[in-house]
Amino acid sequence: MSQSDRRRTVALRRVPTYALLTAVALLFLGPVFWMISASLKSINEVLRYPPTIIPEIFQWGNYAQVFTLQPFGRQFANSVLVMVLVVAVTLTIAVPAGYALARVRPVGAAAIFIVLLSGVFIPPEAVIVPLFQAAADIGWVDSFAPLVLFTAVLSTAPVAMFIMRQAFLTLPNEFEEAAVLDGANRWRTMVQIFLPLVRPSIASAVVFTAWFSWNQFLEPLVYLRSQEMLTVPVALTLFEDPLAGPRWHVQMAATTISVVPVLIVFLIAQRHVVSGLTAGGLKS
Amino acid sequence: MSLRSATSAAVPGRRSRAPQPRSNSPRRRELGRNAFGYALLAPQTLGFLVVGIIAVGGVVQLSLTRVNVLAGTREFVGLDNYTRLFSDPDMVVVLANTFFFVFVLSIAGTIVALALALLLNQQLPGINFFRAAIFIPALVTTVAWVLVWRFILQPQGLLDSLLSVVGIGQLPWLRGGWLTLGAFAVIQLTKNVGINMMIFLAALQAVPSELMDAARVDGAGRWQRFRNVVLPQISPAILMVFMLMVSGSFRVFELVLLITNGGPGNQTSVLAFEIYRQAFRLNDVGYAAALAVFLFALVLALTGIIWQLRRKLVFHESE
Repeated sequence: MSQSDRRRTVALRRVPTYALLTAVALLFLGPVFWMISASLKSINEVLRYPPTIIPEIFQWGNYAQVFTLQPFGRQFANSVLVMVLVVAVTLTIAVPAGYALARVRPVGAAAIFIVLLSGVFIPPEAVIVPLFQAAADIGWVDSFAPLVLFTAVLSTAPVAMFIMRQAFLTLPNEFEEAAVLDGANRWRTMVQIFLPLVRPSIASAVVFTAWFSWNQFLEPLVYLRSQEMLTVPVALTLFEDPLAGPRWHVQMAATTISVVPVLIVFLIAQRHVVSGLTAGGLKS
Repeated sequence: MSLRSATSAAVPGRRSRAPQPRSNSPRRRELGRNAFGYALLAPQTLGFLVVGIIAVGGVVQLSLTRVNVLAGTREFVGLDNYTRLFSDPDMVVVLANTFFFVFVLSIAGTIVALALALLLNQQLPGINFFRAAIFIPALVTTVAWVLVWRFILQPQGLLDSLLSVVGIGQLPWLRGGWLTLGAFAVIQLTKNVGINMMIFLAALQAVPSELMDAARVDGAGRWQRFRNVVLPQISPAILMVFMLMVSGSFRVFELVLLITNGGPGNQTSVLAFEIYRQAFRLNDVGYAAALAVFLFALVLALTGIIWQLRRKLVFHESE
């Protein structure tokens, strides 16, 4: 058998694999394509049966309508703001905690670790009622405070603490001993020696936390009231006409707008995103 | 207590420790270390304890009361809410649906993720495109994914017209029954299976190639290599994914709220949605709290059982 013949049989053998891969990819990407397609159709074309795949005339106006029907720019900024705040609070409390549990190990560290990790097993749906009442008592309804603080403390910080503890555990003891010999105090040992070494794990914790916050639906639905305060996931559900039903075309345009920035971030930071979500897979 | 400080306390004559000015006695060092550790742990631990006690303590306490939201009164009713829960005919449907999702999503979700990982763990040109394709729904928010699928499933939508091409008429996708539950399972599964697939992919790539080579030399076929070499090696990852899927599948909430609103009637409702409906639509806060405690107990019990079973099933116990 000549070389080119052999190459051809190898290629032929791969045909079924690629056919299977393409079918699977269609199931996962098809909805995304359909969303973009519908976002560029007129409402009449959206409702036509059988449907058209490529819009007859690209209705870019749907995207303008997203911003006139709702303060979508403001809502988008809200989502980003909440996400940044959740990440900030989570890192501020979870990085020192992870460091303490892995490297300082004060008396009782093992018990504290179990207590903090138990947050992973509290389903947010199960505790939303008392948390909403607490927020109402404090006067936090229609503010970002419960969304940021309750989420960070109860849901994302336990996972971030776990990721950071693992990262600090894998570093060798010599760093610490060298730092002590150099006369560095405990604070400087942590900030200047250990923190720079765990940057990839911090990135994972950031990705997981940002993803968790960006995805949240039940919490903003319960805590937020006015249209100007809503976050993107809740706002997406409100593109409905009280008489005519859902405005599919505008809703799909808004959904597309919400998806695109995330995909761009993913393409830029692919490696960190994958490691962050799989590390934080602890709570997906 | 670290070994290092214990030995230095036992050997007081060690000169290298002695001349350090800031920590002249091991005892003081130990105190300082503990204080530093507690200071670092304090914000998260105190925050978690406060919010955790409000949340878990609050939900248990509420579940024993009848709350009148309009009058602002709260009355202790003992276990009434739980009695009602176990005698409520509606709960039969809700629980059946909840367990349907738990079983289907945990078992099918794990198997599909593993199958996809095996399929994508090949060195083929363009394989990264396919990996990314399966991962993309995990990046889209759940609400966005659900809204797009609601659009696909609507009467005379994309799915109906695709099925009419192969001669199947329009099906009542959103009118309850197995068809709706099955569609929900597919939507929920495709959303996050990419994350689990990536976990499996990492585990598969960590299987030592010497083991595979040794098995090949011994004449083990493809299936035997998978069954006897790969499967034991990746069993910790399988356990982790399975546990994640079990606790995650109790949380099918967006789907139910946005696509069918639990309807028709309560045919497609699940426990997580029922909590929301009772508390925030029907203002029956006490009953919602009892449902929440029940959900909490179910999640803990199931994950606890699986954790106990791991000894029998997982090869690398130490992990």
